[in-house]
Amino acid sequence: MTSRARLGALVLLSIVAVGCAHYPLNAPLPPTGDTGTGYRFPAMAVDKPDPADEVFVCLSFSGGGTRAAAFAYGALLRLKDIEIGRAGSRRSLLDEVDCVAGISGGAFTAAYYGLNGPDTFRSFYDRFLVRNIQQELILSTLNPVNLARLASPYFSRIDLAAELYDTSVFEGATYAALMARRRPFIVLHATSMANGAPFEFTQDEFDFLGSDLGAFHVGRAAAASSAFPFLLSPVSLKSYPPAAGFGIPPAVSAALETRELNPSRYAWARQRLDLMAGKEEKWLHLLDGGLADNIGLRSILRAYDRSDGFIAQRINAGHIKRLIVIAVNARTDPPEQLSRQERSPGLTDVFMKTATVSMESLSADTIDYAINRQSEREQAQTNVRLCNQRLAGCGAEPFPTFAQEIRTCFVEISFEGLPSPAREEFLALPTTFALPEETVKRLIAVAGTLLDSSPSFQKLLRALQGEVSPGAGVGERGNCS
Amino acid sequence: MEYLIVGFPGTREVRVDGVPHGRTNIVMQFEAGIHVVTLGPPWNFAPLEQKILLYNTAALDPYRIDFRILPPASIPISPGSPP
Repeated sequence: MTSRARLGALVLLSIVAVGCAHYPLNAPLPPTGDTGTGYRFPAMAVDKPDPADEVFVCLSFSGGGTRAAAFAYGALLRLKDIEIGRAGSRRSLLDEVDCVAGISGGAFTAAYYGLNGPDTFRSFYDRFLVRNIQQELILSTLNPVNLARLASPYFSRIDLAAELYDTSVFEGATYAALMARRRPFIVLHATSMANGAPFEFTQDEFDFLGSDLGAFHVGRAAAASSAFPFLLSPVSLKSYPPAAGFGIPPAVSAALETRELNPSRYAWARQRLDLMAGKEEKWLHLLDGGLADNIGLRSILRAYDRSDGFIAQRINAGHIKRLIVIAVNARTDPPEQLSRQERSPGLTDVFMKTATVSMESLSADTIDYAINRQSEREQAQTNVRLCNQRLAGCGAEPFPTFAQEIRTCFVEISFEGLPSPAREEFLALPTTFALPEETVKRLIAVAGTLLDSSPSFQKLLRALQGEVSPGAGVGERGNCS
Repeated sequence: MEYLIVGFPGTREVRVDGVPHGRTNIVMQFEAGIHVVTLGPPWNFAPLEQKILLYNTAALDPYRIDFRILPPASIPISPGSPP
């Protein structure tokens, strides 16, 4: 073949590639609609408590690239090594985990653990944590075939990233594979570019898109969760006309009736309806989950607050005896340079700051909210118990009680809990998908150290080992009873 | 959080906003706002469902609604159908 013919073939190939390149479309639900068996938290039967619900553990993994992924992995590793229960029924605390919420870098660890369970500890380190994903993404972008694909308006950098994650990290796994494992239930988060609303990769959310999450690739969901603004483009999903038999869930329609009393519930319901396609075609463009919630706690709080939430249902049914939430927060606080310069910050600084400032300010509010919710329940239980004790003394009829008094525990680990100078060192780590192996090892180790030095976590472990009775340790530091 | 107790002559599953939650005659917690409450089968109760507005409650002073049991002759074949 002459060089002219070769050039012609290359040009022709490029034209074909440009014409064909399109991101993979999410699949519509079958015409019969979803049968309720999609990727949702397992249904609850009021009269048949699932023993797995008794100690209910949820983890949240924050965003922060490989830093967050390694920190979350370290927390999983520590939980795996902790045995709870009495002799004869010893089990790992990790085996008790029922749900994991993941954002951006933390989404990779959450999804990988959801798919691979204990095998995670044999493969995730090499397959993700110590890889230079960033360099691989750049090389993939520079590949001539991919350069041609990127010229298509329907294919962008995030689609290349999704392909890389899908093939080399998650081995082509779809949500159908996650569904087969039941627990822990994995919730990956992204943010709707149109209105900043949080989006969860669950079938409940996909129902509003008329789409089947089961066929969706986990690697693409992880790509959406980590589509950092400006550096990566959004992941796009098509919203199809609602499937046959789909009705607005009662929890959503009830929420829409009272905005004044509960604006956040109203906004949540409104955002669900915004996902739905009307007569015209509609697409949802998703960016990094950290834009709406960089700590990953909000989906857990929604499951606790909302009437259709899987935690709320189990608490009211009396199935949960102990509710444990562990937030693994890899937030950083690099030394501030902007406030030391007189000139106005340039465009790059403004871009980066607008993408990250809101992430951090929302996280503190979310943690406060979680602690307040926990105290509120404990206080309500204490009030009823103490009043009934007094009434029993005078033979009066007691107040009605909850189905079950629950013990709650909220633990947050972050680099802020480290002593200096390690604290400053970890707080200055960059957000990237390429960290030196030594740094990765230190991040893994420090997660265990922080759990071991957390007063709340240590109090929880003593309670789980049966060394203290429920309610003991009042006045002791820590958010665990 | 708001608190609700659903009164009924026996123990029965309570469904709030379309999902099972707990049982009758115990205190349950929900978000403030409107909720739709009904009971699980058998369908021998009335009313069929109740729409309530939950706000300003306390665990010691929950919002209370009651369902009554229907005599056998009044029980519909399915919810909402005539007996």
